[in-house]
Amino acid sequence: MNNPKYLYKSEEFLKVYEFISEGPKGTIHKMVEYSETGTENIYNLAFGDYNKELNKIDDFSITNNGDSLKVLATVASTVYAFTEKYPKAWVFATGSTAVRTRLYRMGITNNLAEIKEDFKIYGLTIEENKWEEFIVGEDYEAFLITKNENI
Amino acid sequence: MKKIEQLNNSKVPVIVFDKKLEQFRNKVLFPEKLAKANEILSRVGLPKKPSK
Repeated sequence: MNNPKYLYKSEEFLKVYEFISEGPKGTIHKMVEYSETGTENIYNLAFGDYNKELNKIDDFSITNNGDSLKVLATVASTVYAFTEKYPKAWVFATGSTAVRTRLYRMGITNNLAEIKEDFKIYGLTIEENKWEEFIVGEDYEAFLITKNENI
Repeated sequence: MKKIEQLNNSKVPVIVFDKKLEQFRNKVLFPEKLAKANEILSRVGLPKKPSK
């Protein structure tokens, strides 16, 4: 995605990333993590604020640092890094709140053409509770993404 | 600033390694999100693969 992004750091397995959000509220450390789920090859993508002093993560914080699109673009960029390292992986993502899940949906919608060049993306429908290929305008509870060649 | 420009113009990002982040390896930083993911995956499974 060619949107502005923050430069980020990772450890050698590319499962944990850190970057710094900059905005009117100051600098806020963000962590992104890909965790193994109970299903083989499926990783949960999660991110949130990292309080370095307390060494604690806050998944529910609303920092309003005026850079949510840049933060989302940065997190999306880690999907490219992660799936380069783990090309068979499926990445699961859902927001910690319905509002945040809609923000993810907006981020996907705004970059769908580019995402589809490399990835297959599914949304979990709220009413029918089933996966379908991502449709613009639909409301979803969660998302799954994997490289096109895995389908 | 070259790295940020590279990052913004590239799908596959430029990655800077930081040994300090190794402290988080194999730790679940977002346990509630992971529990939710496992609950959803056990309930609905994976998308059906398209028939070829």
